[in-house]
This record gives sequence, C-alpha cells and structure tokens, in this order.
Amino acid sequence: MATATETLPAAQTHERWHPTVTGWLARIVVLLVLLGGLLLVTAIVPQFWADRISLAVIYAIIGLSLNIVLGYVGQVSLGHHGFVGIAAFVAAYYATEKAGCAPEVGCDVTTFFVSLLFAAASGAIAAGILGLVALRIKGLYLALITLAYGFMAETSIFEISALTRGGAGMPAARPDGFTSDRAFAFLCFAFLAVVVYVDWRLIKSKVGRAILSLKHSEPVASSYGINVTAYKVYAFTLSGLFAGLGGGLFAFRATNVVSNDFNFATALLWVLMVVIGGLGNRTGVIIGSAFFALFPFLFELIKPLEHYVRDTLGREPGFFAIVLGALLAILTIVQYPGGIAQQLSPITRWLRGERFSMHPEGHGRHRRAGHGLKARLRSRHTPGAAAEAESGSEDHDEPEGLAPAESPELAAETERMAAAITTTTESAEDASEGTDASEGKPAPARKRTRSRKASS
Amino acid sequence: MSNVLEVRNTGIRFGGLVALSDVNLDVPEWEIVGLIGPNGAGKTTLFNCIMGLYQPNTGTVTYRDRLISLLPTHRRVALGIGRTFQNIGLVRGLTVLENLLVAQHPRIGYGPIASLIGAPRSFSEERKLRANALEVLDFMGLAHLADSHLDGLPYGTLKLIEIATVLATDPDLILLDEPSSGMGPAEAHELGERLLKLRQTLNLTVLMIEHHVPLVVGICDYVYVLNFGKILTEGKPQQVQRHPEVVAAYLGGEVEDEDSDVAS
Repeated sequence: MATATETLPAAQTHERWHPTVTGWLARIVVLLVLLGGLLLVTAIVPQFWADRISLAVIYAIIGLSLNIVLGYVGQVSLGHHGFVGIAAFVAAYYATEKAGCAPEVGCDVTTFFVSLLFAAASGAIAAGILGLVALRIKGLYLALITLAYGFMAETSIFEISALTRGGAGMPAARPDGFTSDRAFAFLCFAFLAVVVYVDWRLIKSKVGRAILSLKHSEPVASSYGINVTAYKVYAFTLSGLFAGLGGGLFAFRATNVVSNDFNFATALLWVLMVVIGGLGNRTGVIIGSAFFALFPFLFELIKPLEHYVRDTLGREPGFFAIVLGALLAILTIVQYPGGIAQQLSPITRWLRGERFSMHPEGHGRHRRAGHGLKARLRSRHTPGAAAEAESGSEDHDEPEGLAPAESPELAAETERMAAAITTTTESAEDASEGTDASEGKPAPARKRTRSRKASS
Repeated sequence: MSNVLEVRNTGIRFGGLVALSDVNLDVPEWEIVGLIGPNGAGKTTLFNCIMGLYQPNTGTVTYRDRLISLLPTHRRVALGIGRTFQNIGLVRGLTVLENLLVAQHPRIGYGPIASLIGAPRSFSEERKLRANALEVLDFMGLAHLADSHLDGLPYGTLKLIEIATVLATDPDLILLDEPSSGMGPAEAHELGERLLKLRQTLNLTVLMIEHHVPLVVGICDYVYVLNFGKILTEGKPQQVQRHPEVVAAYLGGEVEDEDSDVAS
C-alpha cells in the first residue's frame, strides 16, 4: 500500500506568511480606492446611469441570495423570480395601498423601511416553503420544482389584480430624500453592504460551515451533530430574505412594478450570472451580477453596435445578455469552474493578506509535494525516502506508551498477517457487497485508493 | 461494569434483502470492541443503525440506559456518540482546521441569528473553537496540517484527521469504520498505539470495524463477528480468531490448522 507515502505532508509545514505593516497599508489603500472609486463614479455620472448602477446593485443582492442556494447548499433554483416578484409586489402594495404613498404625495422613510421588511419576510416565507420541499427532493427534480414554483407565481400570484393592479402595474413611490436616482443608488449600496456583511458572517460562522458540510454530504454533516433539516430550511429562508430585500428595492427603483419584469428568462439570467461570477464566491457573484445588469446598457456606449442590434437585427440589447450568458457559462463550466472569481483570485487573495501569486491556488501551493512530476518521479524511484520524510515529520507525536521491545516482533507478525489478509481480501473483492456501503459506494477501501491515484 | 451501548434484536431489510437480523451487541464502558466480518456482512449498516442514519425495522439501541432509537442523528452525536466513515467522512473543500470547527457544532455557544449579525459572543466563541481544534490536532500529532487542504493529503493521514475530527465532537463513545484502511502495517500498528493512548487519556469507549487482523488482536478487548447480517460468534479476539466458522467465513469454507496457529 504505497498510497500512504505517496505525498509528503511535511512539505506543507511552512509558517504562515503575514504581510508587513506597509503591506497591510497598501492593501487597505487599494481597497479604499476601489470602493471609493465605485461611489465616486456613482456620484458623478449622469442621473440615468446612477439608476442603472442601482439596478446593478440590486442584481448583486439577488445574486448573493441565489448564491446561498446555488453555491452554498448546492441546489439549483430556477424560480427566484417568484420570490423577488412576490416581494416586489408586497413592498409596492404596502407602500401604495396601505401607507398611501403616491408619486405626488411622496413616501416617508419609515414606510419605505417597513415595506422592505414585509418584502423580505414574504420572500423568506416563500423560499422557506421551498426549503421544506428541498428536504426530500434534490438536484434536477428540485430544479424542476423551483421552475414550476416560478411559473406558478407568474400565473397565479402575479395575476391577483388587487396586489399587482394587472398590466398597468403597482406604483411604488420612492421615499422622501431618495427620490433622485443618485440618492437611491447610494441607498442600494448601503443595503448591499448589509447583505455582504451578513453573508460574510454566515460563511465565517457555524451556520455557514454547517451549510457547506451538508452540501458535501448529509450523513457526514449529521454525524458531526448538524441538524440537516433545520439548516437546509434556514439556508433557503435566508436566501429568500435576501431575494425579498432585492425585490423590495427593485420595486422602489422601478417606481412602478409590472409582472412582466419577473419572468423565467430573468431567473435564468440570474442563475447564469451567479455561475459565471463564481459559485460560492461573494466578490465574483457581485461582479458577475453587476456585469449582467449593466450589459444591455453597454451597447449604448458603442453607437454603431446599438444601431446594428436594434435596427438591423431588430432585437433588444437585453436579448444578448442570455446569449452571452450561455456562452460564458459553457466557458466557465468547461474551462474555469471558479468563474470570474477565479480570474480575480490573485487580487482578492492579495487583498486578504496573502502573498501575491498568479497561481490559482495561491503562493507556493503548486510546489506541494506529490503534485509535480518531479515529486512523483522522486517518490517512485526512492519510496524509502518518502517514507522517511513522512515519519520524520511526525516524530514529535510518537505515542508515549509505546513499548520498543515489543515493536519489532509485532511488526514482523503484522507484516505476515497483512500478506495473508491482502490475499484474502483480494479474492473477496470480487464477491458481491450489497449493504455494507453507507454511501452507495460499495468498493472496498483498497480499490478506491487505486482509482484515486489514477485520477489525481 | 455498565454498558455504554446496547444494541438489541436489531434487524433491517432493504426490499427483499435482509441486511441485518436479530443483532445483539454490547459495548461495555472503557473497552475497545471490534466488529469484524467479510465484505457485505452488514457492519457499516449496523453503524448506520446505531447513528440513526438508517431506521431499523426491529430492535432498539440504548446509549447509557437511554433509549435513543428514535432520536435523529445529530441528537445522538450531541449525546456523545462519534463516528467515522468507511470512505472518509470529511468535508472536502474545507481545511483540516475548518473540519474540526464543523465537528464542534453541537457545542457552539451562539445561535444561528447571532452568527449572522456578528454578535461579539460569536467572535469570542470562534476563537475558543479554534483553540480547541488546535489542541485536538496537536494531540493527534497533526498540528502542522491545520491549514492544509484535504486534497493533497494521503489516505492514511485523512483517516487520522477523521479521527481527530470525531474527537472534536467531544465523544464518549466512538464508532470507527475501518480506521486503518489505506495504511501500511507499521502505520496500522502506530494507529493501534494511538487508540490505546486515546482511551487512556480521554476515557473513550470504542467500537470499531476493522479488517486488519493484527490490529484487532492487538487492541480489542472483545470481538463480534458479523456474517450475512447475523452475529456469527463473539468473544475474546484470540478465541474468535480460532473459531472454525470465522476462518471459514474469511477464507471461503476451508478450515486450516495453520491459520489458527498464526494467531496464537
């Protein structure tokens, strides 16, 4: 069994590298310049571009919401337009019908916050119900159910004219003080900041770890004491909460919510933008979402292209978002599974306080023993050297109760028995093994090790 | 001495296949109990029944005089039953240290809401968890691997990390599913020493599935042999090893004198 000495754990015992004070200052300055630049751009561009930026920010919130289901839980939701749409209508309904807001009268800030609260709650409830379904159903079938869920919302809830006022749409007046596009964009940034903070704490705390581990394997997660049922519903509910918040902001940005805004194509675009941004990666998802929100408007920057698309092809620029999204998704899945986040990882890693490295896994990782060709050749030619290096690395943890006099004798016996057992299990490997596999992988350990070697 | 774990009349069938029938098993306090048997005998299935991943059709599981048959898995873990998996139950994609943080889940002293809003308590608790995890890793001699990802590590090391992870759940009884798979004879021997040391220092009780006979003979106080879902025989390891039916079950029907000599 040479697998145990195949790689050298000793090679990873490097001290953790930390930047100097100047290094940290440089990182903070760069981060502030990036964020400040974003806000500065929002502050100086024309009002209609500020409006588009607020759409990008809302998309980022929705992207982060979808990322919880798609990236952290590992399930596909094709019905997110349902949650966002329900929340948008709930927000608009409360503001207009209950609190009496109207474009002429205005709307006070408290009403705005209360309606966002209702929006978030409605999104959370809608998604929580889906979470209950997800307890039993996974993968493709869950995706189909979310799809049906979205269509159900489109054809039933969005058709309730008391809630949506039919095709004319439900007005949602922006709160006083934030009626201008620019001010509203800054408000959206504030909400995005809150969502990013919560998402960050989620991943850094026990909840995130629990969710990530149940994505990996539910039996394993529950064997670590994680309540799989509760955390799955929790994840879906939180996703719905963010989606609801995004929906509420969407309503006030549009100032008039029509059900046409929430269709399957939009939900598909949201899934694509999260995948292309980088599943499970906050920065990547935000950038991917913002890109797809702004994509249709980028045509305007190139006048001849816009002319060609609109007049010659007779298509709306938004149509190409899905086309481009599909192409980029193929590229992402086949070539760069980490999405945009993977491309940006040298920068984001540096900002987090690691050494700068263009290697996708970080500084020094590519030199990990056992991965390079040289390391393989070395361990193949001199297996003893590898074994020595490994035992050397574990010298300090020699068990104290070890009786040295007994060891050689026992080791010899061990050797003998191992030979006997190996032949036994070898012949038994072909024997059928039906129930002994909890994970549905009946292959015995030795077989598995071999295939692992072949694939690595 | 009282039994930590008592399995009574446990039986489970999957469709027409009877995976376990009428299994009785006791794990007394502070003992290392071995569970051996050929592939497909139902050893892992029995583990899954004890942990609550499978719901047996018949029988009961009692842990420290408490009937746990109807508790969900995570509650059983919180009571102090830890378990490793046959094919590595670690969360890939997380580092070694993070895996140990996951495993401490039931004992974390802040709620799911507090973690989202970043309550001060969640930060101090996280520091404590980290310290605990490092302590366990140090104890297992794996401290130098704390920040490494699982992917590059050899199978035997992963098995050790898995044991460390189970220790992080603060168990009282650990169920080990083939802890020595992927290890050479010398490493398996070292593992045996380590398990004895674990029992000594942490007062653990162990039930383990193991194919590596020297390890079973070397450290187990008592052995159960499972074959075709039934307990074939039980007893001290030396007795069990000489049992003709055990030899037959392992070597395919032939009872040879030589084999029983090897063991003694």
